[in-house]
Amino acid sequence: MTALLQILFDALSLGSLYALGALGIALIFGVMRLVNFAHGDYIAFCVFALLWPSIDAAAIVFAGNLPTIILIPLILAIGAGLSVLSEILVFRRFRNANPATMMIASFALGYVLKNFLLMLFSSRPKSIDLWSNLSQQVEIAGARIPLLQVITITITIVILIALTAFLKRTRFGLEMRAAAENFTMARMLGVKANRVIMLAFAISGMLAAAIGLILATQSGTVDIQMGMSVMLVAFIATVIGGLGSLPGAVIAGFLIGGASVLMQVILPLEARPFRDAFVYGAVIACLIWRPQGLLAPKSAKQRV
Amino acid sequence: MAQRSSLLARTISTLIILILILVAIAVVTKLLGSRPFERTVVEMFIRVMLVVGIYIFVGNSGVISFGHMGFMCIGAYAAAWFTIPAVMKQVSLPGLPNFLINTQLPIFLSAFLAGLLAALFALIVGRILMRLSGIAASIATFAMLAVINVVYSNWDSVTGGTGSIVGIPFYTGIWTALGGAILVVIIAYLYQISRSGLALRAGRDEATAAAASGVNIVRERLIAFVISAFVIGVAGALYGHFLGVVNPDAFYLGVTFITLSMLVVGGMNSLSGAVMGVIVISGIIQLLRWLEKGVDLGGTTLAIPNGLQEITIGLVMIVILMFRPSGLTRNREITWRFKGATKPSE
Amino acid sequence: MSRLKALGLAATFGALISGPALADDIVVGFATAESGFMQAYDKPAQDAALIRIDEINKAGGLLGRQIKVVTADTKTDRAEGAKAGLEVLDKGAELVIVSCDYDFGAPAALAAEAAGKVSFFLCAESIKAGIPGVGPHSFSSSVLAAVQGATMAEWAYNKKNARKFYRLLDTWTVYNKGICDGFDWQLPRLKDAELVGSDTFKNEDASIASQISRIKALPQEPDAIMLCTMMPGAVSAIKQIRAAGIKAPILNGSGVDGSYWLSAVPDLSNFFVPAQGSIYGDDPNPKVNEFNKKYKEVTGGDPSSQYVYPGYVLIDVWSKAVERAKSLDADAVVAELEKMKDEPTLFGPRTFTSEIHHQNKGRYLIIETTNGKPAVVDEWTISEAIPVADLLKQ
Repeated sequence: MTALLQILFDALSLGSLYALGALGIALIFGVMRLVNFAHGDYIAFCVFALLWPSIDAAAIVFAGNLPTIILIPLILAIGAGLSVLSEILVFRRFRNANPATMMIASFALGYVLKNFLLMLFSSRPKSIDLWSNLSQQVEIAGARIPLLQVITITITIVILIALTAFLKRTRFGLEMRAAAENFTMARMLGVKANRVIMLAFAISGMLAAAIGLILATQSGTVDIQMGMSVMLVAFIATVIGGLGSLPGAVIAGFLIGGASVLMQVILPLEARPFRDAFVYGAVIACLIWRPQGLLAPKSAKQRV
Repeated sequence: MAQRSSLLARTISTLIILILILVAIAVVTKLLGSRPFERTVVEMFIRVMLVVGIYIFVGNSGVISFGHMGFMCIGAYAAAWFTIPAVMKQVSLPGLPNFLINTQLPIFLSAFLAGLLAALFALIVGRILMRLSGIAASIATFAMLAVINVVYSNWDSVTGGTGSIVGIPFYTGIWTALGGAILVVIIAYLYQISRSGLALRAGRDEATAAAASGVNIVRERLIAFVISAFVIGVAGALYGHFLGVVNPDAFYLGVTFITLSMLVVGGMNSLSGAVMGVIVISGIIQLLRWLEKGVDLGGTTLAIPNGLQEITIGLVMIVILMFRPSGLTRNREITWRFKGATKPSE
Repeated sequence: MSRLKALGLAATFGALISGPALADDIVVGFATAESGFMQAYDKPAQDAALIRIDEINKAGGLLGRQIKVVTADTKTDRAEGAKAGLEVLDKGAELVIVSCDYDFGAPAALAAEAAGKVSFFLCAESIKAGIPGVGPHSFSSSVLAAVQGATMAEWAYNKKNARKFYRLLDTWTVYNKGICDGFDWQLPRLKDAELVGSDTFKNEDASIASQISRIKALPQEPDAIMLCTMMPGAVSAIKQIRAAGIKAPILNGSGVDGSYWLSAVPDLSNFFVPAQGSIYGDDPNPKVNEFNKKYKEVTGGDPSSQYVYPGYVLIDVWSKAVERAKSLDADAVVAELEKMKDEPTLFGPRTFTSEIHHQNKGRYLIIETTNGKPAVVDEWTISEAIPVADLLKQ
């Protein structure tokens, strides 16, 4: 029972990260059919914002030393700012381009961001001690869970509830959902495209920043590659969930996280290095089973 | 039949021009280039094979594939299995079946078999994957790439795991690579004017109408998928003989993105776009690398800081796509009449 | 003041690299990463190599000739690596020094091998970095990863009385697998030692919670955990292991040497790393501490990890071999290198034979981190060299 609870918590905390990532990607996809490959680099950028640029091995912590109450809004603002800036400078000009062109443009943007960080900080991973008191353990029904895991899961749930409320209860949210469902129609009905898209980018950037903070706290590391694996899984989760469907993305994020943890537990030692092959195999099976995604929005159905 | 030959007559100029460009690059390099520069050009020709290989599937079907570098991986490793001397294989790849350990094939036969192996794999996987379309198909191909990568990175006794395997004979020089690139361009050209190629393009542009006219999109896609897998498998084999080492990491995300970028920047719906994308992007990269090393300007050396090359190439790609969202060639083919290029395969 | 001095020495290096080559100079080529991922790993060892070259030049040169350095950037790319190798060869390099990592260094080393020149990996620790993976003219001056795993196992068994071992492998690189392979080779040779559990993870895994749950599910905490991993995943893994309340000693490879990351795991204790020399100023050999000072003067910073040292060692052993061969002929130099048996260097003895151009046995300092402070606590040489046949099998 305790073991089961432990697995559940492990799965939930990994799934939370993927769910937050998937949400960030799904939001942008919803409003402009863009698969944003730069999302992983936003995550890395936000984490590096904690440090002062230097190519020395030891990190010079700068923003990371600020009191929590200032630090969190600051990093979230950096994420949102970077994301909105990339919309204004780059993606805005691709509104009418085909998805492949946009995808490659976003990849090129991510490549620029990554190499920019590489120039400023060098490739050597840096270390940072962020809220290390969160590493202590709490006991829940016999299972010992690191406080951070509990907080990660809680934060994710809070973000999900807040976002749902925002989308369901506010005018902005209504516009955004309308835009995600059918962008052209929404525009015709008076939704201001630029405002909605910028808002989506801002929220997506903040989600990236939140992931960055969680990753940095959890791993104590700041690394150029750090957003990459979360971004790839999140991207897959977005598709499995049903592109454009925000709840679908979240559910799929948790599912992949759960599958990953479960495989690690049940696979025999010899097969464990192949864990991800099983996870990706499951992804293919899932796509064949439901090509439109678990929760496909009506607009995603092909009319053929 | 008469129609086919008139199609051939109208479009053959594209093929000839592309081949002439490739030959010209090789000849100029041979005459003027240094050894390191020659290797740059060889690498570029291999990239032409890869990008045109991706184009055969992506350009004709309209489905973006993230998985094709998996075929490169399969091809390169197959070439390693077929050509590394038996003594070395016994030590470094003890898990290979005995008949493989004891065979050492000539390079061209091995490259052909490497392509066949990739094609066979594509045939099996494609029967499942080709049922998907749009972004679901893209993600499924990515999942396929990830599975291939995980398996090749961890099946230590057969692939050497994440480490490089060595002992693959050096072979691919500029003429071999040129030959490979020309061959692949010819294959791509013949495919796109074939019945299957035309049907697939029809399905790409007008799925409903094509289906109504009796085009079996899933089948045509599968054919394109298998041909492109063969081409990329061969390219992978040549890459192995070019570098002398193979490593699963070399066939994963990095090369996937660079080749896709070249295709899209060139113009993903035309063969000319695929070829020109590689040539232009490789050219710019090489130019920036020269700048990075420093250029002599009247006694003072002008150099851009290390690492700026990568940033610049990313920005250049964004700018090109901003002004030419359908690529440098605007998805058209280059023909004799340079002014009014004709639309692809019309 | 030290900044000024640093500038001065940097200028010397500048002269070393860009000064005009005289016909009489001996050219040493660096085909290493000046940009991209590997740059952070190549540069420190390359700086150490340049220090040794500078020392040799100041002392009258090699065979009475000055050493001249040429460089080419591999951009952390395999195909570019091969080109960089050709480039330095075209500039007349007699010795080609290639990237730290076997995978990234091999293309340039193969180019040198094809040209019949001696090549050295800056700090590669795979058995392939040498005869099996490049050819008879290729060497590495570091010590095999497997030796690190074997050293930690034997040392912990003898000095920490460890009997129940747990093994946690990050499957990302050959280096990681190498550490665990050495550990696996050593364990059956230790009487009564047993492996109570084994697991794997991936360096990029955001969370290794399920791996930790498995350790915690053991009836009793293991006496030692052999952790075969490297940066950046290592920090995350260590942090999570300690956060979960597992206090068992953690044994590592040299890849996690250095204090630059310790701030991420405050008050880390019971943590052991093998190192060829100490960067912490407490090396039993005072000359190492002098070298550290010199390194700081030249580069402006302390050595960040023990991976600075193999660069110095490689120029050291190569130049000795050249002096003994009285020639730059590759075969003659290789023959002299292969005669070296426990050749003393600042960072432990080196042995090369016609069978192996790497160290399958080596003296290691054991560095223990207590309350976040690393310090040398012991020195250990494995009792038996790991046989070449076993290394190749892995």
